[in-house]
Amino acid sequence: MTHLTQELDRLNMKVMQMVVQTEQALSKTVNAFSRMDADLAQEVVDHDKEINELEVLIDQLCLRLLALEQPVARDLRFILGAMRLSNDLERIGDESANISDATIFLSLHPPLEFYDQIQIMGQKAYDMLQEAIIAFSSPDTERAVNVCRMDFEVDEINSKVIKLSIEHMSQDSKTIEQCVQSINIARRLERVADLATNIAETTMFIVQGTSIKHSCQFDDRV
Amino acid sequence: MQMNCWDKITRNLGIKRVRKDTFMQCYCNKKRVPDISRSMGKYLKENRRGCLKFNKSGQDMKQEQVLSNNLMAAGVVQDMVPQNKISLDKEHCCLEVKDLDLFYGSNQALKSINMKVPVKRATAFIGPSGCGKSTLLRCFNRLNDLIDVCRVQGEIKLDGENIYDPKVDVAELRRRVGMVFQKPNPFPKSIFDNIAFGLRLKGIRNKKHLNEVVEKSLKGAALWEEVKDRLYESALGLSGGQQQRLVIARAIAIEPDVILLDEPCSALDPISTSKIEELIHQLKERYTIVIVTHNMQQAARVSDFTAYMYLGELIEYRDTITMFTNPKEKTTEEYITGRFG
Repeated sequence: MTHLTQELDRLNMKVMQMVVQTEQALSKTVNAFSRMDADLAQEVVDHDKEINELEVLIDQLCLRLLALEQPVARDLRFILGAMRLSNDLERIGDESANISDATIFLSLHPPLEFYDQIQIMGQKAYDMLQEAIIAFSSPDTERAVNVCRMDFEVDEINSKVIKLSIEHMSQDSKTIEQCVQSINIARRLERVADLATNIAETTMFIVQGTSIKHSCQFDDRV
Repeated sequence: MQMNCWDKITRNLGIKRVRKDTFMQCYCNKKRVPDISRSMGKYLKENRRGCLKFNKSGQDMKQEQVLSNNLMAAGVVQDMVPQNKISLDKEHCCLEVKDLDLFYGSNQALKSINMKVPVKRATAFIGPSGCGKSTLLRCFNRLNDLIDVCRVQGEIKLDGENIYDPKVDVAELRRRVGMVFQKPNPFPKSIFDNIAFGLRLKGIRNKKHLNEVVEKSLKGAALWEEVKDRLYESALGLSGGQQQRLVIARAIAIEPDVILLDEPCSALDPISTSKIEELIHQLKERYTIVIVTHNMQQAARVSDFTAYMYLGELIEYRDTITMFTNPKEKTTEEYITGRFG
Protein backbone atom coordinates (compact mmCIF):
# COMPACT_ATOMS: atom_id res chain seq x y z
CA MET A 1 0.00 0.00 0.00
CA THR A 2 1.57 3.26 -1.05
CA HIS A 3 1.74 6.35 1.09
CA LEU A 4 -0.88 8.12 -1.03
CA THR A 5 -3.34 5.23 -0.75
CA GLN A 6 -2.97 5.28 3.00
CA GLU A 7 -3.69 8.99 3.11
CA LEU A 8 -6.69 8.57 0.81
CA ASP A 9 -7.98 5.79 3.08
CA ARG A 10 -7.70 8.11 6.02
CA LEU A 11 -9.67 10.76 4.14
CA ASN A 12 -12.28 8.21 3.09
CA MET A 13 -12.69 7.11 6.69
CA LYS A 14 -13.23 10.69 7.84
CA VAL A 15 -15.83 11.24 5.11
CA MET A 16 -17.61 8.05 6.17
CA GLN A 17 -17.58 9.24 9.76
CA MET A 18 -19.22 12.45 8.68
CA VAL A 19 -21.73 10.50 6.59
CA VAL A 20 -22.67 8.44 9.65
CA GLN A 21 -23.09 11.47 11.88
CA THR A 22 -25.17 13.36 9.33
CA GLU A 23 -27.39 10.40 8.62
CA GLN A 24 -28.04 9.91 12.30
CA ALA A 25 -28.80 13.60 12.71
CA LEU A 26 -31.37 13.47 9.93
CA SER A 27 -32.97 10.26 11.16
CA LYS A 28 -33.28 11.73 14.63
CA THR A 29 -34.73 14.91 13.17
CA VAL A 30 -37.41 13.01 11.27
CA ASN A 31 -38.18 10.91 14.34
CA ALA A 32 -38.28 13.95 16.59
CA PHE A 33 -40.79 15.59 14.27
CA SER A 34 -43.02 12.56 13.98
CA ARG A 35 -43.01 12.04 17.75
CA MET A 36 -42.90 15.77 18.50
CA ASP A 37 -40.06 14.85 20.82
CA ALA A 38 -38.36 18.04 21.97
CA ASP A 39 -35.58 16.22 23.79
CA LEU A 40 -34.57 14.25 20.73
CA ALA A 41 -34.71 17.43 18.65
CA GLN A 42 -32.47 19.17 21.16
CA GLU A 43 -30.00 16.29 20.86
CA VAL A 44 -29.70 16.99 17.13
CA VAL A 45 -29.07 20.69 17.75
CA ASP A 46 -26.39 19.88 20.32
CA HIS A 47 -24.56 17.40 18.10
CA ASP A 48 -24.39 19.67 15.05
CA LYS A 49 -21.05 20.98 16.30
CA GLU A 50 -19.41 17.59 15.76
CA ILE A 51 -20.44 17.54 12.10
CA ASN A 52 -19.03 21.04 11.64
CA GLU A 53 -15.73 19.97 13.18
CA LEU A 54 -15.48 17.04 10.78
CA GLU A 55 -16.03 19.39 7.85
CA VAL A 56 -13.08 21.51 8.91
CA LEU A 57 -10.94 18.41 9.37
CA ILE A 58 -11.82 17.01 5.94
CA ASP A 59 -11.04 20.36 4.35
CA GLN A 60 -7.62 20.33 5.97
CA LEU A 61 -6.93 16.77 4.83
CA CYS A 62 -7.95 17.61 1.26
CA LEU A 63 -5.84 20.75 1.20
CA ARG A 64 -2.86 18.79 2.42
CA LEU A 65 -3.32 15.99 -0.09
CA LEU A 66 -3.67 18.46 -2.96
CA ALA A 67 -0.61 20.43 -1.89
CA LEU A 68 1.72 17.56 -1.09
CA GLU A 69 0.78 14.53 -3.15
CA GLN A 70 -0.15 15.90 -6.59
CA PRO A 71 -2.97 13.39 -7.04
CA VAL A 72 -4.22 12.61 -10.53
CA ALA A 73 -7.19 10.88 -12.20
CA ARG A 74 -9.50 9.04 -9.80
CA ASP A 75 -7.52 10.11 -6.72
CA LEU A 76 -7.87 13.75 -7.73
CA ARG A 77 -11.58 13.32 -8.40
CA PHE A 78 -12.02 11.62 -5.05
CA ILE A 79 -10.38 14.52 -3.20
CA LEU A 80 -12.47 17.10 -5.04
CA GLY A 81 -15.52 14.92 -4.39
CA ALA A 82 -14.69 14.66 -0.68
CA MET A 83 -14.55 18.46 -0.44
CA ARG A 84 -17.94 18.85 -2.08
CA LEU A 85 -19.37 16.01 -0.05
CA SER A 86 -18.24 17.45 3.26
CA ASN A 87 -19.80 20.74 2.26
CA ASP A 88 -23.13 19.11 1.40
CA LEU A 89 -23.14 16.94 4.51
CA GLU A 90 -22.46 19.94 6.69
CA ARG A 91 -25.43 21.75 5.11
CA ILE A 92 -27.63 18.71 5.77
CA GLY A 93 -26.44 18.77 9.39
CA ASP A 94 -27.32 22.46 9.64
CA GLU A 95 -30.74 21.96 8.08
CA SER A 96 -31.40 19.07 10.49
CA ALA A 97 -30.52 21.32 13.41
CA ASN A 98 -32.80 24.06 12.08
CA ILE A 99 -35.68 21.63 11.56
CA SER A 100 -35.14 20.33 15.09
CA ASP A 101 -35.25 23.88 16.40
CA ALA A 102 -38.61 24.41 14.71
CA THR A 103 -39.77 21.03 15.99
CA ILE A 104 -39.07 22.13 19.55
CA PHE A 105 -41.36 25.10 18.94
CA LEU A 106 -44.05 23.00 17.26
CA SER A 107 -44.00 20.42 20.03
CA LEU A 108 -45.50 23.04 22.33
CA HIS A 109 -48.59 23.46 20.18
CA PRO A 110 -51.34 21.11 19.10
CA PRO A 111 -50.45 19.46 15.81
CA LEU A 112 -52.03 20.57 12.55
CA GLU A 113 -53.65 18.09 10.22
CA PHE A 114 -51.10 18.40 7.42
CA TYR A 115 -48.16 17.35 9.58
CA ASP A 116 -48.41 13.84 8.21
CA GLN A 117 -47.44 15.25 4.80
CA ILE A 118 -44.29 16.79 6.30
CA GLN A 119 -43.59 13.50 7.94
CA ILE A 120 -43.83 11.66 4.61
CA MET A 121 -41.59 14.31 3.14
CA GLY A 122 -39.04 13.82 5.92
CA GLN A 123 -39.07 10.07 5.37
CA LYS A 124 -38.56 10.56 1.62
CA ALA A 125 -35.71 13.04 2.14
CA TYR A 126 -34.14 10.56 4.52
CA ASP A 127 -34.57 7.72 2.00
CA MET A 128 -32.84 9.87 -0.59
CA LEU A 129 -29.91 10.57 1.69
CA GLN A 130 -29.65 6.90 2.51
CA GLU A 131 -29.71 5.95 -1.16
CA ALA A 132 -27.06 8.59 -1.91
CA ILE A 133 -24.87 7.29 0.90
CA ILE A 134 -25.13 3.71 -0.33
CA ALA A 135 -24.36 4.92 -3.85
CA PHE A 136 -21.27 6.74 -2.57
CA SER A 137 -19.92 4.02 -0.31
CA SER A 138 -20.54 1.09 -2.70
CA PRO A 139 -19.92 2.93 -5.19
CA ASP A 140 -23.03 2.26 -7.28
CA THR A 141 -23.83 4.67 -10.10
CA GLU A 142 -27.30 3.23 -10.78
CA ARG A 143 -28.40 4.10 -7.29
CA ALA A 144 -26.92 7.55 -7.74
CA VAL A 145 -29.14 8.13 -10.77
CA ASN A 146 -32.06 6.80 -8.74
CA VAL A 147 -31.57 9.53 -6.12
CA CYS A 148 -32.06 12.24 -8.74
CA ARG A 149 -35.37 10.65 -9.76
CA MET A 150 -36.63 10.62 -6.18
CA ASP A 151 -36.15 14.36 -5.87
CA PHE A 152 -39.35 15.14 -7.80
CA GLU A 153 -41.57 13.43 -5.24
CA VAL A 154 -40.14 15.57 -2.46
CA ASP A 155 -40.63 18.72 -4.54
CA GLU A 156 -44.26 17.80 -5.11
CA ILE A 157 -45.00 17.22 -1.43
CA ASN A 158 -43.26 20.51 -0.63
CA SER A 159 -45.68 22.39 -2.90
CA LYS A 160 -48.56 20.51 -1.31
CA VAL A 161 -47.48 21.43 2.22
CA ILE A 162 -47.16 25.09 1.28
CA LYS A 163 -50.64 25.03 -0.24
CA LEU A 164 -52.15 23.33 2.79
CA SER A 165 -50.40 25.75 5.15
CA ILE A 166 -51.73 28.76 3.30
CA GLU A 167 -55.24 27.33 3.41
CA HIS A 168 -54.90 26.69 7.11
CA MET A 169 -53.59 30.17 7.79
CA SER A 170 -56.48 31.78 5.95
CA GLN A 171 -58.95 29.77 8.00
CA ASP A 172 -57.33 30.05 11.42
CA SER A 173 -55.14 33.07 12.01
CA LYS A 174 -54.07 31.77 15.45
CA THR A 175 -51.99 29.08 13.82
CA ILE A 176 -50.04 31.41 11.55
CA GLU A 177 -46.81 30.97 13.47
CA GLN A 178 -47.10 27.19 13.40
CA CYS A 179 -47.90 27.25 9.71
CA VAL A 180 -44.91 29.46 8.94
CA GLN A 181 -42.67 27.10 10.90
CA SER A 182 -44.19 24.16 9.02
CA ILE A 183 -43.45 25.83 5.69
CA ASN A 184 -39.94 26.42 6.94
CA ILE A 185 -39.50 22.77 7.82
CA ALA A 186 -40.86 21.66 4.47
CA ARG A 187 -38.54 24.02 2.63
CA ARG A 188 -35.57 22.76 4.61
CA LEU A 189 -36.48 19.14 3.93
CA GLU A 190 -36.66 20.02 0.27
CA ARG A 191 -33.12 21.45 0.58
CA VAL A 192 -31.96 18.23 2.25
CA ALA A 193 -33.33 16.29 -0.70
CA ASP A 194 -31.48 18.60 -3.09
CA LEU A 195 -28.27 18.10 -1.14
CA ALA A 196 -28.76 14.33 -1.28
CA THR A 197 -28.99 14.75 -5.05
CA ASN A 198 -25.70 16.65 -4.94
CA ILE A 199 -24.09 13.73 -3.11
CA ALA A 200 -25.32 11.39 -5.82
CA GLU A 201 -23.93 13.70 -8.49
CA THR A 202 -20.59 13.82 -6.69
CA THR A 203 -20.56 10.02 -6.61
CA MET A 204 -21.05 9.93 -10.37
CA PHE A 205 -18.23 12.43 -10.74
CA ILE A 206 -15.85 10.37 -8.61
CA VAL A 207 -16.66 7.05 -10.29
CA GLN A 208 -17.10 8.03 -13.91
CA GLY A 209 -15.51 11.45 -14.13
CA THR A 210 -18.64 12.81 -15.75
CA SER A 211 -20.68 15.68 -14.46
CA ILE A 212 -24.42 15.03 -14.26
CA LYS A 213 -25.05 18.29 -12.45
CA HIS A 214 -28.44 19.83 -13.18
CA SER A 215 -29.24 16.99 -15.57
CA CYS A 216 -32.15 15.93 -13.37
CA GLN A 217 -33.98 19.03 -14.50
CA PHE A 218 -34.00 17.73 -18.05
CA ASP A 219 -34.99 14.19 -17.12
CA ASP A 220 -38.03 12.30 -18.37
CA ARG A 221 -40.34 14.34 -16.22
CA VAL A 222 -42.78 15.27 -18.97
CA MET B 1 -24.45 30.11 25.64
CA GLN B 2 -26.39 27.14 24.36
CA MET B 3 -29.95 27.01 25.65
CA ASN B 4 -31.24 23.62 26.49
CA CYS B 5 -34.58 22.26 25.45
CA TRP B 6 -36.14 23.02 28.78
CA ASP B 7 -35.10 26.67 28.65
CA LYS B 8 -36.72 26.98 25.27
CA ILE B 9 -40.00 25.47 26.41
CA THR B 10 -40.28 27.74 29.41
CA ARG B 11 -39.30 30.77 27.37
CA ASN B 12 -41.79 30.02 24.61
CA LEU B 13 -44.59 29.44 27.05
CA GLY B 14 -43.69 32.51 29.03
CA ILE B 15 -43.82 30.55 32.28
CA LYS B 16 -41.69 30.78 35.31
CA ARG B 17 -39.01 28.18 35.60
CA VAL B 18 -40.21 25.08 37.36
CA ARG B 19 -38.26 21.95 37.92
CA LYS B 20 -38.22 19.84 34.82
CA ASP B 21 -39.23 16.61 36.50
CA THR B 22 -42.22 18.32 38.16
CA PHE B 23 -43.29 19.70 34.85
CA MET B 24 -42.89 16.43 32.98
CA GLN B 25 -44.80 14.60 35.69
CA CYS B 26 -47.68 17.01 35.41
CA TYR B 27 -47.50 16.96 31.65
CA CYS B 28 -47.69 13.21 31.42
CA ASN B 29 -50.01 12.42 34.34
CA LYS B 30 -52.55 15.17 33.84
CA LYS B 31 -51.71 16.77 37.19
CA ARG B 32 -51.89 20.47 37.59
CA VAL B 33 -48.55 22.20 37.57
CA PRO B 34 -48.47 24.31 40.71
CA ASP B 35 -46.50 27.21 39.24
CA ILE B 36 -48.29 27.43 35.95
CA SER B 37 -51.39 29.46 35.44
CA ARG B 38 -54.74 27.81 34.82
CA SER B 39 -54.90 28.77 31.18
CA MET B 40 -51.45 27.45 30.60
CA GLY B 41 -52.39 24.18 32.22
CA LYS B 42 -55.38 23.92 29.92
CA TYR B 43 -53.21 24.68 26.98
CA LEU B 44 -50.76 21.96 27.86
CA LYS B 45 -53.57 19.49 28.36
CA GLU B 46 -54.86 20.07 24.87
CA ASN B 47 -51.43 19.97 23.44
CA ARG B 48 -50.66 16.70 25.08
CA ARG B 49 -53.81 15.11 23.77
CA GLY B 50 -53.03 16.31 20.27
CA CYS B 51 -49.46 15.15 20.41
CA LEU B 52 -50.35 11.73 21.65
CA LYS B 53 -52.90 11.34 18.90
CA PHE B 54 -50.41 12.47 16.33
CA ASN B 55 -47.77 10.21 17.70
CA LYS B 56 -50.05 7.22 17.31
CA SER B 57 -50.57 7.90 13.64
CA GLY B 58 -46.90 8.73 13.07
CA GLN B 59 -44.53 5.97 12.14
CA ASP B 60 -41.16 5.89 13.75
CA MET B 61 -38.08 4.79 11.91
CA LYS B 62 -36.83 1.50 13.19
CA GLN B 63 -33.25 1.40 14.42
CA GLU B 64 -32.18 -1.23 11.89
CA GLN B 65 -33.56 1.01 9.20
CA VAL B 66 -30.93 3.62 10.02
CA LEU B 67 -28.11 2.82 7.66
CA SER B 68 -25.29 4.24 9.71
CA ASN B 69 -26.03 1.88 12.60
CA ASN B 70 -25.36 -1.02 10.23
CA LEU B 71 -22.22 0.63 8.89
CA MET B 72 -20.94 1.05 12.43
CA ALA B 73 -21.89 -2.51 13.41
CA ALA B 74 -20.18 -3.98 10.34
CA GLY B 75 -17.01 -2.09 11.20
CA VAL B 76 -17.06 -0.22 7.88
CA VAL B 77 -16.63 3.00 9.77
CA GLN B 78 -14.13 3.18 12.57
CA ASP B 79 -12.52 6.03 14.32
CA MET B 80 -9.01 6.60 13.10
CA VAL B 81 -6.40 8.39 15.11
CA PRO B 82 -5.97 11.75 13.43
CA GLN B 83 -2.47 12.53 12.23
CA ASN B 84 -1.08 15.20 14.45
CA LYS B 85 0.56 18.20 12.94
CA ILE B 86 4.28 18.06 13.56
CA SER B 87 6.31 21.00 14.69
CA LEU B 88 10.07 21.58 14.75
CA ASP B 89 10.12 22.73 18.37
CA LYS B 90 8.71 19.44 19.63
CA GLU B 91 11.11 17.23 17.68
CA HIS B 92 14.18 15.56 19.10
CA CYS B 93 17.10 16.63 16.88
CA CYS B 94 20.31 14.74 16.11
CA LEU B 95 22.04 17.21 13.82
CA GLU B 96 22.49 20.82 14.84
CA VAL B 97 24.05 23.45 12.60
CA LYS B 98 25.36 26.59 14.33
CA ASP B 99 26.49 29.75 12.51
CA LEU B 100 27.88 27.76 9.61
CA ASP B 101 29.80 29.70 6.96
CA LEU B 102 31.45 27.98 4.02
CA PHE B 103 33.85 29.50 1.49
CA TYR B 104 35.08 28.17 -1.84
CA GLY B 105 38.22 30.31 -2.02
CA SER B 106 36.96 33.85 -1.63
CA ASN B 107 33.42 32.98 -2.63
CA GLN B 108 31.05 32.49 0.30
CA ALA B 109 28.69 29.60 -0.50
CA LEU B 110 26.88 29.30 2.85
CA LYS B 111 26.02 32.28 5.02
CA SER B 112 25.52 31.72 8.75
CA ILE B 113 23.23 28.73 8.58
CA ASN B 114 21.41 27.78 11.79
CA MET B 115 19.16 24.75 11.79
CA LYS B 116 18.29 21.49 13.51
CA VAL B 117 17.56 18.21 11.77
CA PRO B 118 14.99 16.07 13.62
CA VAL B 119 15.58 12.37 14.29
CA LYS B 120 13.72 9.75 12.24
CA ARG B 121 12.13 12.30 9.97
CA ALA B 122 12.75 13.21 6.36
CA THR B 123 14.06 16.74 5.90
CA ALA B 124 14.24 18.19 2.39
CA PHE B 125 16.38 21.04 1.06
CA ILE B 126 14.91 22.93 -1.86
CA GLY B 127 16.00 26.02 -3.75
CA PRO B 128 17.24 27.17 -7.14
CA SER B 129 20.52 25.91 -8.62
CA GLY B 130 23.62 27.14 -6.85
CA CYS B 131 21.81 28.09 -3.65
CA GLY B 132 24.02 25.83 -1.55
CA LYS B 133 21.73 22.86 -0.81
CA SER B 134 24.23 20.18 -1.88
CA THR B 135 27.09 22.06 -0.23
CA LEU B 136 25.22 22.08 3.08
CA LEU B 137 24.36 18.39 2.68
CA ARG B 138 28.01 17.52 2.04
CA CYS B 139 28.98 19.35 5.23
CA PHE B 140 27.07 16.74 7.25
CA ASN B 141 29.64 14.03 6.52
CA ARG B 142 32.59 16.32 5.76
CA LEU B 143 32.75 15.48 2.09
CA ASN B 144 33.71 19.11 1.48
CA ASP B 145 37.06 18.31 3.15
CA LEU B 146 38.06 16.71 -0.15
CA ILE B 147 37.90 20.09 -1.90
CA ASP B 148 41.16 21.98 -1.34
CA VAL B 149 39.80 25.51 -1.60
CA CYS B 150 36.89 24.81 0.72
CA ARG B 151 36.95 26.40 4.19
CA VAL B 152 34.33 25.87 6.90
CA GLN B 153 33.55 28.07 9.93
CA GLY B 154 31.00 27.40 12.66
CA GLU B 155 29.98 24.00 13.91
CA ILE B 156 27.75 21.04 13.14
CA LYS B 157 26.87 18.82 16.06
CA LEU B 158 25.94 15.17 15.63
CA ASP B 159 24.33 14.01 18.87
CA GLY B 160 25.97 16.90 20.69
CA GLU B 161 29.48 16.35 19.29
CA ASN B 162 31.03 18.82 16.87
CA ILE B 163 31.91 16.88 13.71
CA TYR B 164 34.47 19.52 12.69
CA ASP B 165 36.47 18.86 15.84
CA PRO B 166 40.02 17.80 14.84
CA LYS B 167 39.72 14.68 17.04
CA VAL B 168 36.80 13.29 15.06
CA ASP B 169 37.48 10.12 13.04
CA VAL B 170 36.15 11.05 9.59
CA ALA B 171 35.78 7.42 8.45
CA GLU B 172 33.64 6.68 11.51
CA LEU B 173 31.63 9.86 10.87
CA ARG B 174 30.94 8.76 7.30
CA ARG B 175 29.82 5.36 8.59
CA ARG B 176 27.31 7.05 10.85
CA VAL B 177 26.24 9.51 8.15
CA GLY B 178 25.78 7.60 4.89
CA MET B 179 25.39 9.23 1.52
CA VAL B 180 23.63 8.40 -1.75
CA PHE B 181 24.46 10.42 -4.84
CA GLN B 182 22.59 11.64 -7.88
CA LYS B 183 23.89 8.92 -10.19
CA PRO B 184 23.90 5.36 -8.88
CA ASN B 185 27.49 4.28 -8.27
CA PRO B 186 27.62 0.55 -7.56
CA PHE B 187 31.08 -1.01 -7.36
CA PRO B 188 31.98 -3.29 -10.30
CA LYS B 189 31.37 -6.34 -8.13
CA SER B 190 28.51 -8.73 -7.48
CA ILE B 191 25.32 -7.53 -5.78
CA PHE B 192 26.29 -9.45 -2.64
CA ASP B 193 29.81 -8.00 -2.52
CA ASN B 194 28.48 -4.48 -2.96
CA ILE B 195 26.37 -4.78 0.17
CA ALA B 196 28.99 -6.70 2.15
CA PHE B 197 31.75 -4.22 1.23
CA GLY B 198 31.32 -1.93 4.21
CA LEU B 199 31.10 -4.83 6.65
CA ARG B 200 34.22 -6.51 5.28
CA LEU B 201 36.00 -3.18 5.59
CA LYS B 202 35.05 -3.28 9.27
CA GLY B 203 36.65 -6.73 9.48
CA ILE B 204 33.50 -8.84 9.58
CA ARG B 205 34.16 -12.12 7.77
CA ASN B 206 31.48 -14.41 9.26
CA LYS B 207 29.59 -15.78 6.24
CA LYS B 208 26.35 -16.36 8.12
CA HIS B 209 26.34 -12.86 9.54
CA LEU B 210 27.12 -11.36 6.11
CA ASN B 211 24.26 -13.34 4.53
CA GLU B 212 21.84 -12.06 7.15
CA VAL B 213 22.89 -8.43 6.77
CA VAL B 214 22.77 -8.59 2.94
CA GLU B 215 19.25 -10.00 3.02
CA LYS B 216 18.08 -7.52 5.64
CA SER B 217 19.56 -4.56 3.80
CA LEU B 218 18.13 -5.59 0.42
CA LYS B 219 14.73 -6.10 2.01
CA GLY B 220 15.06 -2.71 3.71
CA ALA B 221 15.75 -1.13 0.33
CA ALA B 222 12.79 -2.98 -1.27
CA LEU B 223 15.09 -4.78 -3.69
CA TRP B 224 15.26 -8.30 -2.25
CA GLU B 225 12.41 -9.79 -4.30
CA GLU B 226 13.96 -8.58 -7.55
CA VAL B 227 17.52 -9.78 -6.98
CA LYS B 228 17.37 -12.71 -4.55
CA ASP B 229 18.05 -15.22 -7.36
CA ARG B 230 21.05 -13.39 -8.78
CA LEU B 231 22.97 -12.15 -5.77
CA TYR B 232 26.30 -13.19 -7.26
CA GLU B 233 25.79 -11.53 -10.63
CA SER B 234 27.38 -8.15 -11.40
CA ALA B 235 25.60 -5.15 -9.89
CA LEU B 236 26.21 -3.28 -13.12
CA GLY B 237 23.60 -5.49 -14.82
CA LEU B 238 20.80 -3.91 -12.76
CA SER B 239 18.57 -1.12 -14.08
CA GLY B 240 19.18 2.49 -12.98
CA GLY B 241 16.39 2.38 -10.39
CA GLN B 242 17.60 -0.97 -9.06
CA GLN B 243 21.19 0.31 -8.90
CA GLN B 244 20.05 3.32 -6.87
CA ARG B 245 18.19 1.07 -4.44
CA LEU B 246 21.27 -1.15 -4.26
CA VAL B 247 23.32 1.89 -3.27
CA ILE B 248 20.75 2.68 -0.57
CA ALA B 249 20.96 -0.95 0.62
CA ARG B 250 24.76 -0.60 0.73
CA ALA B 251 24.36 2.54 2.82
CA ILE B 252 21.99 0.94 5.34
CA ALA B 253 24.06 -2.28 5.64
CA ILE B 254 26.50 -0.49 7.96
CA GLU B 255 23.62 0.78 10.12
CA PRO B 256 24.08 4.54 9.82
CA ASP B 257 22.19 7.07 11.96
CA VAL B 258 21.63 9.51 9.14
CA ILE B 259 21.23 8.94 5.39
CA LEU B 260 21.97 11.86 3.10
CA LEU B 261 20.37 11.71 -0.33
CA ASP B 262 21.68 14.10 -2.96
CA GLU B 263 19.03 14.24 -5.70
CA PRO B 264 18.59 10.45 -5.61
CA CYS B 265 15.93 10.33 -8.32
CA SER B 266 17.13 12.87 -10.84
CA ALA B 267 18.62 10.19 -13.13
CA LEU B 268 15.67 7.81 -12.81
CA ASP B 269 12.42 7.11 -14.68
CA PRO B 270 9.04 7.89 -13.01
CA ILE B 271 8.37 4.31 -11.87
CA SER B 272 11.79 3.96 -10.26
CA THR B 273 11.35 7.42 -8.75
CA SER B 274 8.08 6.44 -7.08
CA LYS B 275 9.72 3.26 -5.75
CA ILE B 276 12.54 5.29 -4.19
CA GLU B 277 10.00 7.73 -2.74
CA GLU B 278 8.06 4.86 -1.15
CA LEU B 279 11.35 3.57 0.17
CA ILE B 280 12.10 6.94 1.79
CA HIS B 281 8.74 6.75 3.58
CA GLN B 282 9.75 3.36 4.98
CA LEU B 283 13.34 4.33 5.77
CA LYS B 284 12.40 7.34 7.85
CA GLU B 285 10.84 5.04 10.42
CA ARG B 286 14.36 3.80 11.22
CA TYR B 287 16.79 6.46 10.02
CA THR B 288 17.09 10.21 9.87
CA ILE B 289 16.83 11.23 6.22
CA VAL B 290 18.11 14.43 4.67
CA ILE B 291 17.32 14.85 0.99
CA VAL B 292 18.32 17.46 -1.54
CA THR B 293 15.99 17.70 -4.48
CA HIS B 294 15.37 19.92 -7.48
CA ASN B 295 11.89 18.51 -7.67
CA MET B 296 9.68 20.50 -5.32
CA GLN B 297 6.82 18.04 -5.65
CA GLN B 298 9.14 15.31 -4.53
CA ALA B 299 10.09 17.30 -1.45
CA ALA B 300 6.38 17.75 -0.72
CA ARG B 301 5.65 14.05 -1.16
CA VAL B 302 8.43 12.55 0.91
CA SER B 303 9.54 15.02 3.56
CA ASP B 304 8.23 16.00 6.98
CA PHE B 305 10.25 19.22 7.12
CA THR B 306 11.41 21.44 4.30
CA ALA B 307 14.15 24.05 4.16
CA TYR B 308 14.17 26.65 1.41
CA MET B 309 17.59 28.07 0.56
CA TYR B 310 18.53 30.96 -1.67
CA LEU B 311 22.00 32.38 -2.42
CA GLY B 312 23.61 30.48 0.43
CA GLU B 313 21.07 31.57 3.01
CA LEU B 314 18.43 29.55 4.77
CA ILE B 315 15.30 31.55 4.03
CA GLU B 316 12.60 29.40 5.58
CA TYR B 317 12.58 26.10 7.44
CA ARG B 318 9.40 24.53 8.80
CA ASP B 319 7.07 21.53 8.51
CA THR B 320 6.31 20.55 4.93
CA ILE B 321 2.53 20.92 5.27
CA THR B 322 2.76 24.58 6.27
CA MET B 323 5.58 25.15 3.80
CA PHE B 324 3.47 24.03 0.86
CA THR B 325 0.09 25.35 1.96
CA ASN B 326 0.93 28.59 3.73
CA PRO B 327 4.62 29.60 3.62
CA LYS B 328 5.49 32.60 5.75
CA GLU B 329 8.16 34.15 3.51
CA LYS B 330 7.19 35.84 0.26
CA THR B 331 10.23 34.52 -1.65
CA THR B 332 9.40 30.94 -0.60
CA GLU B 333 5.89 31.33 -1.93
CA GLU B 334 7.18 32.77 -5.19
CA TYR B 335 9.64 29.92 -5.58
CA ILE B 336 7.27 27.05 -4.82
CA THR B 337 4.54 28.50 -7.03
CA GLY B 338 7.02 28.77 -9.89
CA ARG B 339 6.99 32.56 -10.15
CA PHE B 340 10.66 32.86 -9.40
CA GLY B 341 13.82 30.77 -9.53
